[in-house]
Amino acid sequence: MRSKRKTYILALAPFLLLCFLFEIIPVIYTVVRSFIPEGGTPGFTLENYINIFTGKLYQRAIANSLLISVLSSVIGLVVAFVGAKAVHEEKGRLKTVFMSILNMVSNFSGVPLAFAYIIMFGNIGVMTMVGANYGIGFLADFPLYSVWGLLMIYVYFQIPLSTLLLIPAFDSIRKEWKEAVALLGGGPAVFWRKVGIPVLFPSILGTFSVLFANALAAYASAYALLMNNISLLPIRLSEQFVGDIIQRPEFGSAIAVVMIVFMVLAIAVQNKMMPKKGGKR
Amino acid sequence: MAYIELKKIDKFYGDNHVLKGIDLKIKKGDFVTLLGPSGCGKSTLLRCLAGLEQISDGQIMLDGKDITNEDPKDRKIGMVFQQYSLFPNMTVEENLSFGLKLQKMDSSEIHRRVKDAIEMVELSGKEKEYPGSLSGGQQQRVALARGIVIRPKVLLLDEPLSAVDAKLRKSLQTNIRMIHKELGLTSVFVTHDQDEAMVMSDVIHLFHDGRIEQSGSPVEVYTKPATSFAAGFIGNYNILDSCDMERLTGKEWPSGRIAIRPETFFLSKNEITTEDYCMRGTITDSLPRGNVLRYTISINDVEIYADVLFRSISMFDIGDRLNIGVSDHNCVRL
Amino acid sequence: MNVEKKQNTGAKIAIGVIIVYLLLPLAMTMIYSLFREWIDIMPTGFTLNAYTELFTDTLFWKAVGRTIVISVVPIVLCTVFVLLAMYVVVVYHPDWNKMIQILCTVPYAIQGVILPTCVLSLYSSAPEPFGNRMFMLVSTYMVVILPYVYQGIRNNLNGIGAARLIEAAQMLGASRFYAFFRVVIPNIMGGVTISVMLAMAIVFGDFVIINTLAGGHFMTAQMYLYDVMKKSGQRTCAVIVLLFLVTLIISAGAFFLQSREKDRKDR
Repeated sequence: MRSKRKTYILALAPFLLLCFLFEIIPVIYTVVRSFIPEGGTPGFTLENYINIFTGKLYQRAIANSLLISVLSSVIGLVVAFVGAKAVHEEKGRLKTVFMSILNMVSNFSGVPLAFAYIIMFGNIGVMTMVGANYGIGFLADFPLYSVWGLLMIYVYFQIPLSTLLLIPAFDSIRKEWKEAVALLGGGPAVFWRKVGIPVLFPSILGTFSVLFANALAAYASAYALLMNNISLLPIRLSEQFVGDIIQRPEFGSAIAVVMIVFMVLAIAVQNKMMPKKGGKR
Repeated sequence: MAYIELKKIDKFYGDNHVLKGIDLKIKKGDFVTLLGPSGCGKSTLLRCLAGLEQISDGQIMLDGKDITNEDPKDRKIGMVFQQYSLFPNMTVEENLSFGLKLQKMDSSEIHRRVKDAIEMVELSGKEKEYPGSLSGGQQQRVALARGIVIRPKVLLLDEPLSAVDAKLRKSLQTNIRMIHKELGLTSVFVTHDQDEAMVMSDVIHLFHDGRIEQSGSPVEVYTKPATSFAAGFIGNYNILDSCDMERLTGKEWPSGRIAIRPETFFLSKNEITTEDYCMRGTITDSLPRGNVLRYTISINDVEIYADVLFRSISMFDIGDRLNIGVSDHNCVRL
Repeated sequence: MNVEKKQNTGAKIAIGVIIVYLLLPLAMTMIYSLFREWIDIMPTGFTLNAYTELFTDTLFWKAVGRTIVISVVPIVLCTVFVLLAMYVVVVYHPDWNKMIQILCTVPYAIQGVILPTCVLSLYSSAPEPFGNRMFMLVSTYMVVILPYVYQGIRNNLNGIGAARLIEAAQMLGASRFYAFFRVVIPNIMGGVTISVMLAMAIVFGDFVIINTLAGGHFMTAQMYLYDVMKKSGQRTCAVIVLLFLVTLIISAGAFFLQSREKDRKDR
C-alpha cells in the first residue's frame, strides 16, 4: 500500500533541520543559559534577570527601548493614518507615485539612513551649519546624538512601513457607509469617529505591534549613529557577545529573553488583532 | 458481470462515518449518476473510486481487477472536476497531451488523438489558447476532453456543471451525453440536481447520509420513490401519513407514508368519475412555476400541492371550491 | 461636490508633505555625494570624484560581489527547502501546514539583533561546520527570510489550487512527485520569484547579522559602507546612493515581474 512508503518524509528534513538548528535550538539554548550563573558554573539562578531589572544601565536600556519603540510607532501610525486616508481618497496618478515612493524608501534604513541624518543634523551637518549661520537655534543645536535624534530616525523608517500596512485596511471602508452616515445627517468627522476608526481599529493595533517589534529589535541605525554610547536593549544585548568590553554570555542571554518576551507580546497582539479572512466583517 | 463493483465500502473522516457499507455495481457502457444533497457522500465515493481518497474498509473492482490499493495514476480512470483544474501554464493542446505524453505515446498519435478530442468538444481553433483566456463553459469542455483523450476505462464527472451558468449547462449536458454515446464510455456522474440526473442517466443511485437510498432508472426513481427521503428529494412529492389520507379519501389506510406527485391530481369544477378517489377542496394559493401552475389546496384541513399545465391565466381562482381526483396507483406507499 | 473637492485638495497636500519628508534625506544624500563642500544653503564645487574613486576601488566591488553571493545562496537554499517541505504538506499532510507556519513565524519574534546573538552564543565555539562563520551566516539569513519565502510560496500554492491540480495530474497518470514538481512548481515560479526578490532586498540591506556573526572578517557592501563612514562623508554618500540604486533595481525587478504576472493571469 502506497502510504506505507514514507520516504517522502525526507523532503521535510532540510527544512526541519534548518529550523531546529538555527531557530529553535538557539532560542532554547539562550533561554536555558539565561538561568545559569555568570561564568558558566553549572546551576540555576535568577541573578541575571535581577541584574537587568535593578542595574541602572539596564533599566535605562529597557526604558529607552520601550520609549523609542512606543513613540516612534505612535508617531508613525498617526502619519500613516493621514497618508493612508489620503490615498483612500485620492485615486489618480499621485496615488501610484506615492505608493512607489513608499515602497522605495522602505528600503532606506539602517546604516545609510543614520548617515543621511548625520549629514543633515550631525555636528557638521548641513542643517546644523545653516542653523548656526543664520541663527536658527533649534537647527544649530539639534540633539541628533541622543534618544531624541534616534527617535527621529526611527520615525522615518516607521512611516513607509506603517503606511504600506494601513493602506489595504482602508480598502475595507466602503463608500456606502459614508453615504449612509451622510443620509443619517452625519458629516465626515462623525463618520470617522463612529464608523471609520472603530472598523480600522484592529488593523491599527495590529500595525502598531508590527511597528513596535520592528523598532524594538532595530540595531543598525542606532549603532551607526552612536556605537555603544546609548543605552538601548539591542545595543546592550549585542555588546555582551561581540566587541571590546568583557563578554557576559549568560547575562546577555537574559537580555535576549527579555527582548523575546516583548516581541512575543507584540506578535500575540498582532495575531489577535489582524483582520482575519471571513471574520466578522 | 459488473464492470465496476464496489463492495461494502466504508469511509471515516476521524469519527465521521461518511460512507456506510456501500454496495454498488455498474454495467459496462452505462451512464450512472450518483445523486444526492451536498454532504451525502456521493463525491467522496467518486473520489474513492478515483483513488484520491483511501477507503477505510471494503473492496473496489474494476474490469475484473482489484484496484482497492492501486495508485490513482495506475487505475486508468479519467476524471472531470467541478473547478475544471486545468493546468494554467499549458495551452489547451498541452493540457490534452499531458496524459498521453506520460504514456510515452509517439507524437503523431498524440496529435491525432488531441485533434479528435478537441473536435468532439467543439473547441477547434482554440488549441493554442491558455485556459485563462477561455470562458467557464469552454474550460469545462477542455477538462472533459482532457478526461476522455486518455481513453480511460471509466470517466468520473464530479459535479462538472455546477460552476457553469444555466444556459451553458444545457448544451454541455447534451455534449457529455453525446460523447458518452459515441465512445461507449462507462461514466459515473455526480450531481445534486435531480433534473440533471433525470435527463442524463441510464441509472440513478440516490444517496442519503452515506447510504444508497434507492437505485433505478430515472423513470423508476421518479415514479416509484422507495422512501420519504427519495420522494422529497425527487419531484416535489406530497408526502402524507395515513391520517391525512383518511381525511382525504374517507377510507381507512394502513399506517405508513404515502407519496403523491403534484401533477397526478386531476382538478375540475365538474364531477370527476374517472379517478379512484374524488375529493372536494378549496384553493388557498396559486403560483406559476414555469410551464405549470402550482395550486395549494385545502381538503378537510389537509394541504396538498397540485400542478396543472399553465394553459390560461385563470383556470381556477383562490377561494374556488372544486373537485380533486387521484388514482390509487399514483398514491405510492413508502 | 464642493466637499469632495476640498477633501481631494487636503489629500493631495497630505501626500505631498509626506513625500517631501520621505525624499528629503535621500535627496540630501545624493546632493552631498556630488559636491565638494556643503556648509551653507547651497552646496559648492560639483564633482563626480566620489563616484569615479568608488568605481575604481576593487575593495568596493569585491564587497558588492560578496553581498550578492551572501544574498543569493541563502535565498536559493531557503526556497528549495520550503518548496520541499510544502511538497510534503500539499501532497501528503495538509494538516502539517500549521506546524510549518508556526516555524516560519518564529523568526518575527527573534528578528533584528536577537537571532544572530543567539546563534553566535550557541555555535561560536562549536566544531566545524557549525563553528564556521560562513555556515552560521548563511543559515541565519535563511531563517530570517523564512517568513517571506514561506508566505510567498504558500500564497501562490493556494492561488493556483495546488491540491486540485495535483489530483488532476494524478488522474492523467502522473505520480504525485511528478505532479508537484512538473505541474505545480512551473505554475508558481513567477510568483515565488517576486517574494524571493523582496527577501533579497532584506539580506542586501542587512548590517546587524553580518556585523554580529562575521565582524570585519567578511566585508559586505554594508560593512564597507560602515568602514567608509569613518573616512569620508562624500564617499559614504556615494556608496549609499549606489547601494540604494541596486536595491531599487531589485525591487523594481520584482515589481515588474509582479505586473507581468498579473497581466498573464488576466489574459
